[in-house]
Amino acid sequence: MHELSMADAIVKTVIEAAEKNDAIEVLEVTIEVGQMTLLNPEQIKFMVGVLSEDTILEGAKFHMEEVPIEIDCECGYKGKIGADDLDHYTPVLNCPECDERNFDIIAGRECNVKNIKIEKRDEDA
Amino acid sequence: MHKIAEVEIQHDIMVANRKLAKKNQKILDKSNVFAVDVLGAIGSGKTSLIENLIQKLDYPVAVIAGDVISKFDAGRFEKYNVPVVGLNTGKECHLDAHLVEHAFHDMPLDEVDVLFIENVGNLICPVDFDLGAHMRMVVISVSEGDDTVEKHPLIFKEADLVVINKVDIADAVGADQDKMVADVLKLNPDVQVIKTSLKTGKGFKEIINALEKARNE
Ligand SMILES: Nc1nc2c(ncn2[C@@H]2O[C@H](COP(=O)(O)OP(=O)(O)OP(=O)(O)O)[C@@H](O)[C@H]2O)c(=O)[nH]1
Ligand SMILES: [Zn+2]
Ligand SMILES: [Zn+2]
Ligand SMILES: [Zn+2]
Repeated sequence: MHELSMADAIVKTVIEAAEKNDAIEVLEVTIEVGQMTLLNPEQIKFMVGVLSEDTILEGAKFHMEEVPIEIDCECGYKGKIGADDLDHYTPVLNCPECDERNFDIIAGRECNVKNIKIEKRDEDA
Repeated sequence: MHKIAEVEIQHDIMVANRKLAKKNQKILDKSNVFAVDVLGAIGSGKTSLIENLIQKLDYPVAVIAGDVISKFDAGRFEKYNVPVVGLNTGKECHLDAHLVEHAFHDMPLDEVDVLFIENVGNLICPVDFDLGAHMRMVVISVSEGDDTVEKHPLIFKEADLVVINKVDIADAVGADQDKMVADVLKLNPDVQVIKTSLKTGKGFKEIINALEKARNE
């Protein structure tokens, strides 16, 4: 599974952003994982935790948010399509309006480091 | 005194790969190279198929061969005197656009018409990683079982050509090859599905025709 390489990229992204913002500690990280990816959010969370050891990230709280699949269909339908927990890993995607597959996927393929909460030195200190 | 701050990052790691993939395709297009990402199950016949194609195609072909820890497949291609770059993925279960771009540096792209990129044998992980190839060819075989398609739908949704190989042994392993074809078409009605046996040569011509057609599109 490639959760490890994802986790590695996430940790690098967070550390870079934290350092740029003069953080002394990262408290929270929010990551969005699309339902269309073949990534398991729980595994990513576990691996990010392991990779955070001895970094500015150690001990940070990770929030994993699942992003539903959203399409923009030629028939005019634009919005979410159902992929519940059960078929999360086997989404067979059809447009709910026209039942066709002539659409662009506009959400659900991301592994997005959304934001972080950091503790930083007070500027006047 | 310390203060707490929220920092927006919005860095999508998937988008980063897709951007690199787009860059790869530009590099390929500049050298007029048609690239095929060859995906599929472990042992389904990816290397055998590319070996056959190297011998039959009458234009210059090159191969990038992804392997997890060895350069085993690369060694198989080298015999045919075509440019080969072996990519060691380390522990990774898939190639990504970044690795492939590295392989381009060692490849005489201007002398190549068709580039096959053999992905790591895996029906799951490579799906998430576009490499910048013009075509995705998925190779499975009857010996993985005739429920393979149902169990791994996403890779078939993203395929441009699906090859169901080893039909010569379908009866021996009790696999219903037509069910496999039907399962693919249910997921991806417009995709071309070709039943092949690299042992007997069945279906091989159709693959060559499909490649030709895609290349001229
Ligand atoms: N009976 C039969 N055997 C085949 C056929 N095609 C390939 N094989 C055999 O299947 C085995 C695996 O073939 P490879 O071409 O190495 O498969 P691969 O997909 O490249 O394997 P990995 O790179 O390890 O994932 C070899 O022993 C081939 O000779 C076929 O059509 N029929
Ligand atoms: Zn993986
Ligand atoms: Zn529609
Ligand atoms: Zn191989």
